Amino acid sequence: MARMKFICDAERCIECNGCVTACKQENEVPWGVNRRRVVTINDGVAGEKSISVACMHCSDAPCMAVCPVDCFYRTEEGVVLHDKDMCIGCGYCFYACPFGAPQFPQAGAFGMRGKMDKCTFCAGGPEKDNSKEEFAKYGSNRLAQGKLPACAEMCSTKALLGGDGDVISDIFRDRALKRGKGAEVWGWGTAYGKPDNPQQQAPKGAKS
Amino acid sequence: MRATIAGVRYFLLGLMLFLPLLGATAWAQAQEGRVQETQAQRQQVQPGNNAPVWRNVRSGTEGYTSVQGRETGVLIQTQGQTWRELRNGPIALYGGWLVMLVLIAIGVFYMWHGPIGLHSPPTGKMVERFSSFERIAHWTMAISFCILAVSGLTMLFGKYVLLPLIGHTLFGWLATLGKNLHNFVGPVFMFSIVVFAAKFIRDNIPRAYDITWLVKGGGVLSGEVVPSGRFNAAEKIWFWGGVIALGTVSSASGLVLDFPNFDQTRALMMLANIVHVIAAIVFIVWSFTHIYLGTVGTTGAYEAMRDGYVDETWAREHAQYWYEDVKAGRRAPPSGTSDTAGATTAPQIQHGGD
Repeated sequence: MARMKFICDAERCIECNGCVTACKQENEVPWGVNRRRVVTINDGVAGEKSISVACMHCSDAPCMAVCPVDCFYRTEEGVVLHDKDMCIGCGYCFYACPFGAPQFPQAGAFGMRGKMDKCTFCAGGPEKDNSKEEFAKYGSNRLAQGKLPACAEMCSTKALLGGDGDVISDIFRDRALKRGKGAEVWGWGTAYGKPDNPQQQAPKGAKS
Repeated sequence: MRATIAGVRYFLLGLMLFLPLLGATAWAQAQEGRVQETQAQRQQVQPGNNAPVWRNVRSGTEGYTSVQGRETGVLIQTQGQTWRELRNGPIALYGGWLVMLVLIAIGVFYMWHGPIGLHSPPTGKMVERFSSFERIAHWTMAISFCILAVSGLTMLFGKYVLLPLIGHTLFGWLATLGKNLHNFVGPVFMFSIVVFAAKFIRDNIPRAYDITWLVKGGGVLSGEVVPSGRFNAAEKIWFWGGVIALGTVSSASGLVLDFPNFDQTRALMMLANIVHVIAAIVFIVWSFTHIYLGTVGTTGAYEAMRDGYVDETWAREHAQYWYEDVKAGRRAPPSGTSDTAGATTAPQIQHGGD
């Protein structure tokens, strides 16, 4: 089974915000909710680097650990999803998340939080795949259609890669070798931790 | 001569302490220079090295982003992990044990000692203990406190205790109700603290006889009747430490969490959450003892707060100085009317047991 991950190549990202737009378009997210954003370090000066960030679908997801109602679950492909019917809008996942992924539409007076919304890796939610209900709550379920996340598919420079961690890290490794720089896989240490077995040999033959 | 030797010794000692400090400072400065290097500077010597950028990312430096909102320019914030480990770790573990152990201790005490009863038979003559305003103030605080405590404990422990029993759907529904109640009852509780404090502060000022009361442990174990004012020393400590101190701390930290529309940072909210949870657990556990002593733990105490009247024997044994003052007319009864009116209009209440 594939383990879905994101990579953003800081050497390639040009801060076009195409991924942000693609995400909004694909999932019809409500106002004030931004599942993906592009952050630029050293904006406007030499050494500027941009990175597109959304939920990284962590291996040991902090949101899942602190949720008081246990509304998160992980799919077989490693995508971290949540059930909006259970979410109470406490904001704990927003505190704990290193990437600032959880978003809350304002639902009432005094900034009361509504149901949490975040990147689903375009994999919908617990409802029936590609049903009306699923789309209304979580947006598109492209994974069930055999497609990859809209943000990565739409990326104009292919800086944002989304898909099986083994496949996209191979692509990224080739790039880093060819250009001889920019080998840092952004956010992976935080999201996926250390590899279970660093001494492991690459599998021979076909991939999963 | 001796003074000179001592002086030299101190000089040498100072030199020994100071010299390595100089070296360390120089080394640290060199390191700091490297750390403070911008990406632009680094690229001139090492074109492919992005270390300063990643250092910025790791340190939580805000970059530019077109997405508006709270801390959207931060790529990675690391405090969340600390908060998660504290909340899910020691706070949930020791907090849970504290709640359980205090409940067990109260149960054991009740089995072993039983309720604190009266030493002399009740006279059947009632004296006013709390005015209706005081009782409304107390019950507003008590009921809002209980709602906050139950919903708060559900937020922290429900996932481990209640969820496996009732399932995700029902628990999610109850938790939503609890969270909304918590958010809206919180301000009611804060308001009741202010009213309650203003009403009861006079009778909770510490007096010399409170020390005697504390030393004798209120006579609970010895069976001795220890005189006190309207409220005994333990009640005064509960007033100052519980209602005032823990009430203020949990209210202030609660407000930070209750109104997320001021764009306060996640770090502040996590700090507020830790303070809130610790203060609340201590508050709740302490309230167990108050609730126990105010209901089954002391004969006649619950009726006093429910109806406002106690038997004269109860008043003499539990609040002797206050009772004597009211009887002698040195202070008005709680309603403020004359002292004889209280006894004649009092409802006749049958005290159970002794």
